[in-house]
Amino acid sequence: MELPPELNDKFNDLVSRYPVKRSALIPMMMYAQDQFGYLSDEILDEIAKRLDLNILQVTETLAYYSMLRRRPAGRYHIQVCTNISCLLRGGNELYQHVQKRLGIGNKEVSPSGTFSLEEVECIGACTGAPAMQVNYDFHENLDPDKVDAIFEQLQDGKTPKPEPVTSGALHERLKAEIPIISKRFGIRDSRKIDTYLQNEGYQAIEKALKQMTRDQIIDEMKKSNLRGRGGAGFPTGMKWSFVPKDSPKPKYLLCNADESEPGTCKDRPLMEMDPHQLIEGMVIAARVIDAHQGYIYVRGEYRYVIDILDAAIREAYDRKYLGKNILGSGFDFELCTHTGAGAYECGEESALMESLEGKRGYPRIKPPFPATVGLYGCPTVINNAETLSTVPAIVRMGGDAYAALGVPKNGGTRLYSISGHVNRPGIYELPLGFPLRRLIEEVAGGIRGGKKLKAVVPGGSSCPLLSADEIDVAMDYDSVAKIGSMLGSGGTVVLDEETCMVDFARRIMHFYAHESCGWCIPCREGTAWLRKMLDRFHEGAGTPEDIPQIDELSKNMLGRTFCALGDAAALPTISIVKKWRNEFEEHLRGKCPYAPAEAIVGAH
Amino acid sequence: MADQKTITFTIDGQQVTTSAGTLVIEAAKQQGIEVPSFCYYPGLTLQAACRMCLVEVEKMPKLQTACTLVATDGMVVKTATPGVHKARKDMIEFLLSNHPLDCPVCDKGGECELQDMTFRYGLDKTRFVEEKFHIPEEKWSPIVYYDRPRCILCYRCVRVCDEGMDVKALGVGVRGVQSLILPNASGKLACEECGMCIDICPVGALTSGTYRYQTRPWEMTYVGDPCAHCSNGCKTTLSVRNNEIIRANNRDHSGINGEFLCAKGRFAFDFTSHAERIRQPLVRRNGSLEPASWEDALEEVSRRLKQARETHGPSAIGVIGSNHTTNEENYLLNRFARVTLGTNNIDHHRTADYVGLAAALGPRAKDSLATMADVYNSNAVFLIANDPNNQNPLVAWQIRAGVRHHQTKLYAINGQPSKIHRQAQIVAEVPQGAEPQALHWLATGQGQFDANTAESLVRLKAALEAEKDVVVLFGASIQGAAIRDLVSFAARFGGNTKFMALGDYSNSRGAADMALLPDRLPGYALLSDSAERARYSKLWSGEISEKPGLTARQMMEAAVASQIKVLYVVGANPAKTFKIAESGRIAGLELLIVQDMFLTETAKHADVVLPAASTYEKEGTLTNTAGEVQMTHRSIDPQGPRSDFDLLRILSHQLAMLGLGTPIRLRTPEAAFDEIRQHVPGYELSVANLLAGGAEQASASCKAPEPNYNPPAGAVFSSDDYLFTSGTLGSYCSKLSSTDEAKEKPWGSSPSTQSWWHR
Repeated sequence: MELPPELNDKFNDLVSRYPVKRSALIPMMMYAQDQFGYLSDEILDEIAKRLDLNILQVTETLAYYSMLRRRPAGRYHIQVCTNISCLLRGGNELYQHVQKRLGIGNKEVSPSGTFSLEEVECIGACTGAPAMQVNYDFHENLDPDKVDAIFEQLQDGKTPKPEPVTSGALHERLKAEIPIISKRFGIRDSRKIDTYLQNEGYQAIEKALKQMTRDQIIDEMKKSNLRGRGGAGFPTGMKWSFVPKDSPKPKYLLCNADESEPGTCKDRPLMEMDPHQLIEGMVIAARVIDAHQGYIYVRGEYRYVIDILDAAIREAYDRKYLGKNILGSGFDFELCTHTGAGAYECGEESALMESLEGKRGYPRIKPPFPATVGLYGCPTVINNAETLSTVPAIVRMGGDAYAALGVPKNGGTRLYSISGHVNRPGIYELPLGFPLRRLIEEVAGGIRGGKKLKAVVPGGSSCPLLSADEIDVAMDYDSVAKIGSMLGSGGTVVLDEETCMVDFARRIMHFYAHESCGWCIPCREGTAWLRKMLDRFHEGAGTPEDIPQIDELSKNMLGRTFCALGDAAALPTISIVKKWRNEFEEHLRGKCPYAPAEAIVGAH
Repeated sequence: MADQKTITFTIDGQQVTTSAGTLVIEAAKQQGIEVPSFCYYPGLTLQAACRMCLVEVEKMPKLQTACTLVATDGMVVKTATPGVHKARKDMIEFLLSNHPLDCPVCDKGGECELQDMTFRYGLDKTRFVEEKFHIPEEKWSPIVYYDRPRCILCYRCVRVCDEGMDVKALGVGVRGVQSLILPNASGKLACEECGMCIDICPVGALTSGTYRYQTRPWEMTYVGDPCAHCSNGCKTTLSVRNNEIIRANNRDHSGINGEFLCAKGRFAFDFTSHAERIRQPLVRRNGSLEPASWEDALEEVSRRLKQARETHGPSAIGVIGSNHTTNEENYLLNRFARVTLGTNNIDHHRTADYVGLAAALGPRAKDSLATMADVYNSNAVFLIANDPNNQNPLVAWQIRAGVRHHQTKLYAINGQPSKIHRQAQIVAEVPQGAEPQALHWLATGQGQFDANTAESLVRLKAALEAEKDVVVLFGASIQGAAIRDLVSFAARFGGNTKFMALGDYSNSRGAADMALLPDRLPGYALLSDSAERARYSKLWSGEISEKPGLTARQMMEAAVASQIKVLYVVGANPAKTFKIAESGRIAGLELLIVQDMFLTETAKHADVVLPAASTYEKEGTLTNTAGEVQMTHRSIDPQGPRSDFDLLRILSHQLAMLGLGTPIRLRTPEAAFDEIRQHVPGYELSVANLLAGGAEQASASCKAPEPNYNPPAGAVFSSDDYLFTSGTLGSYCSKLSSTDEAKEKPWGSSPSTQSWWHR
C-alpha cells in the first residue's frame, strides 16, 4: 500500500524507536487512523507487513483499545465525557444536548459525514467539567450555549479555539499552596527549554550526573519520603533500589502518563506546561537505575500533550540533555513518547508494559515484578509522571528539605485536582497531610450554591467515598488509609447534598465495566453484572434483596481479581451501599428521588 | 537435567515434600487434593484468569491462585476452608451469570468441566436476573464452530493453538464482558484444522462440525485405537453409537500422543461409512465387476490362483501388501505368499528406509531407536529431509513441546520448507534432494556446497558434535549409504543417540518389520540366511525359496512386460502409487485380486475384489514409525467386509482343500501376535501394557550391520502426504477434504497459498 510520505516517515520513525518492532503497533494504528479516519483492511495489512506480524496479532490488539476503529468516524469526532466529575456538573445534560443538536446517537455518524458522536469515559478534564473533545481538542467548562457556538464554528469550517491549558491549573496562588512542581505554571512559554533553563531547569541533572553517585541519589530519594503519585503511594527511592545492579540485561525507565482515573487531571497540566521538568526527572532516574532507554506512555486522548512532549524532547536532544554522553558525563539516555489508544487498564504498570510491547493491555502475573522482569523481560522502573517530575526538585533541594514540606513518611507536596460541586475546581499544589476540610472549604472555595456537602471521593473513583462527617482528615497516604479510604491519585471529587448516590455508584460501575480488560472472571462478570443491576435499580426496578446483593457481589470481587481493577470497582460501591443505604431504600419506591428518570443516560 | 532440590510444605495438614519450583496446584494433585481450575492447563503458560484455584496461605492476607503459587519451604496452604469454598462458589456464580444454561442441547453436556464444577462447588440457585450477554454462534470452518455465550474465556484454545501448535490462529477480541475468541481470517479459521481447540475447550464453546448435535456422550461407547492415517500412531478415542463412529477425539490422553491429535486423527474417521465403501465381494463377469456372494468370490479366487500357479509357476505371481494393515495380517500375508503361493515376490510401498536403518544399526537398534517420548525428552533433535509439521504431526508436536518446556535444541538439514524450522537453532537449507550429500560431508568431509550452505553446515556440525543424547529423525530420501553416513556422523555426539526413520502410514514400519519385502523374513532376516529360512519354514509348514523376489515396482513393471501374470494386492493401490497402468488394466495380467475397502484405481481393474475391514473395525497390532506397537480394536462391525486377517486365513483353508499349501491354524489376531512375539526378533513384547491400551517399542533389526546394503532404486519414496491428505484413504475422508486449507498444497508454487503454512 502506497502511504502518504508524512505517514511513511512517521511509521519509519516509530519502528526505529523500539528494540522490538511490535511495540510500534499501537502508535502506528493511531497515526494511521488520524490520517485516514479509520483503520481499513489495507492499512492493517500494511502495518502487519512492516512489523512482521500476522493479521490476527494486529486485529486482536486493535480490538482491545477503545479509540481505534474499523469504520470511518465523522470529520469531527465529538467525544462527550459523562464520567463522575462531568456527571456532577451537567455532563449527561450536555451529552443529550449534543445528541439532539447533531441528530445522532452514541457511536453514530451524521449523514453528511461531518460529525460523529461518542459518549466517553473520563478524558482528564475533571477540573474543567463538563468537557468534551473535538478530535484531539479539549473544550471545557461547557454549557449548551458554548457547545452550540463550537458547532456553529465547525459547520462554518472554522476550528474553534481549544482550551489553552487544562482548566483550573492556572489561578492565583493561594497562601496554602507550596509550588514546587507547579512552580512554572503560568510562566509565559513555560514549556520551552529556554524558559525552563531560566527557572532552575536542568540544574538538578548537572548535580545528579556529575556530582552524585547512584547510591547518593537513591539516599536522597529515600530521605525525601516521596511516594508514588499514581495512586498506590509506593516509596519511590525503594522502588529504584530494587533494580538488580548486576543484571546483564538492558534496563528500562517508563513514565506512566496514562492518567485515566476518573477525577484525576494533574499529569496533563504538568506535562503540557512543564515537559522539561519531567524529562529532567527521567534522565536522573535513568542514571540511577542505569537505563539507557525510556518511554513516556501517554494516554491516547492527550495527543496535544504528546506533541508538546515530542517538541520538548527534540529541544532536550539539541541541547544535549538527552542522547549520547549527556553533558559530557558519559551517560547515554534515549527518550521518546508512546501513545496509548484508550484503555484505563493500561495505567496498571504491567498492562502498560504489555501495551507498550504492542499487545492487548492485559496485566501480568506478579511476581516477577517489573524491577526484575519488566518491559521486554528486562529490569524496569515505572513511575507516574508526577513522581518523575518531582525528582529534579528533590535533587536540587535535598531529600530532607523536601520531606519536611510534608508530614512523616509522606514527604513533600502533590497536585490535587479537585472537581465536582465546588466553587473553584482546579489543580492545586499542597503539602502532604493538608486537611481535607480546608481543601474543600478554603482551597476550592466551598460547595457551589451554598449547598451542603454530602460525600467526597478523596483520590479518584477507585477510593471508598467519605461522608460529610469524615472530612476532618489529613490528606496523606496513611491518614486517609486509617479511615478506610485511599489518598489515591489526588483526584478529589466533591458531591453536594442533591447528588443521587445510587446514580453515582451506577456511573462508577459503568466505568469499570467498560474498562475491565476481561481477563479474569470475577472482574469481567462482576462489573458487568453490577452495572446491569445498578442500572435497573436506579431506574426504579430494584428489590430489597438487591441492596445486600450489590454489596455482596462487590465483596465477591474484592481481593480475588487478577489486578486491582476489581477492587477499584468494588471499594467505592461497597462504601456507597454502606454509607448511603437509605438512598437505595428510597429508590425502592420506584423512582430516583434526586433526578427525573429520563435524565439517566447509560454509558455504552 | 540438573539435580532437583526438594522443599517441604504443608497442605491441608499434610506435610509434603516435592521438588523445588512445583506449583501448589500440582503439589496438591500429587496428594490427591483437587484444586479446581479452568485456565490452568499443564504444559501451557500460566494465566491466573479463572480464579477458581484460590487457596488460603498462612501469612498472606489475600487468597492466592494455586496455579501461579510456587510451593516453598514451610509454606502452609489450606484448600478446604470456608473462605476457599465460598470463593469457588462465588466464581461459579460469576461464570454462570452470562453462561447460557442450554446444557440439555449442548454437545458438551455430560462431559463439561463447568457442569462438573458447578455440581461440585456451585450454588443451587441463580441470583442473576439481568439480560444475558449474547452474540450468535459462528462457523469458523466446516469442522470448527464457536459459541461465544458458552465461552468462559479460559484461553486454553488460544494457548494450545499458539504454544502447542505454533499456528497462532486464535486471539482475543474486544475486552471486558464482551471479550471473545477471534479466529485469524476475518471470522474464519485459516489453520491446520487440528481441532485441538475443540478438545481442550472445557465447555461447549468450541464444537466439532463432525459431531455437533448428533448425540449425547452417555449414549456412546468408547474405543481407543491407533489412528488409521500417518505413521506416528497417535491414539484416537472413537466414540461409537449404533455401530457408527460419531466422533474421534482424545478423551483420556492415555496414548503416546498425550493430548495431541491432528485433523486426521480427529476428523478423518468418516471413511468407515463412506458411500463408496465396498460392502460385498465383486467378481468380474463379462468384463464388469459384479456383486457376488462370499462363497462364489472365494471359490473364484482360490480356483484361479491354483490354476495360474500351475500354469505359470510361482515366480509369475506377485503379492503387494499394505502399510496400513495390521502386523498380524502382514505376517499372515508373508506366510501366504512365501509358503502357500511359493513366491518371494512380496513387497509394499516403502515410505522410509527402515531396512536401511536396521542394516546400519544391526543389534544396536535395541538401544538406539527413539520413541515419541524420546523426541520430547531429548536435549537435541537432528532432523533431516522431512517436514514433520505436515508429514509427522506428532513428531512435530513433541519437538515443539520439548523446545518450549526444556529448551530442546533443533538442528535441521532440509531441502524443503517446514514450519518446524521456526523452532530450530540451525537450519542448513540445502537444495532439495541434496540432504544425502550433506550427510556425506558431515560424515566424511567430502562434497561441495555453495558458501551459504557450507557455512550453515559447518555451524550445524560444530553444534551437534557438542550435543549429547540426541534424537535423529530422517525422511524417506535418506536411504542405505546415507543412513550409514548419518549413523557414522552421529557416533560423534555425546550420550546415547537414538534414531527414527520417518515413514508415512499407520503401519509402514510394521510392514517392514513383518518383512513385506522380497529379500527378507520377519525381523529383517535375510533370505540367504538358511537357519532363518529353516526356522520360518518349520513354523509355516512349507518350503521358502532363498531367491529374493521382485520389489513392488519391479512386479508392476514385470506385469506390464507379461512376466508377472498374477497380482495379489492387499490394502494397496500400486497403480496409483507407482503410476503404472493408472488408467487401464495391465494387458498381460491374467489375474488381479484386490482386498480393499474401496474400488481404488487398482481395484477397478481387478478380477475379484474382496471387501476389507478398516483398522477401526478389526483387532490386531500396528507399529508406528518409532517402532512402538499398539493394539487396534474393533470399534464397529464393518457390515459386510471382513478383516484381511480373516480373508487370508479362509483362503489358506480353501487353497489347502485344492491341494495348495497348508491351512493357517491361527484363528485370531491375538494368536498370530503370540506367534510373532515368540518368533520375530525384536517383538518379544510384554502384552499386559498393550492390553491396557499402552505402547511397547519393538526393536526388530538386522542380526549384524550390513555395510553394503542399499535399497533397490525407486523402492523407497515418500507419498508426500501432508496434513490434509492420506494416500488413497484420504480421498474417502470427506470432512478432512471439506476445509479450505485442504485445497492448498503446502509445498505449492503460489506464495499466497503458502502464507499460513510456513509463516
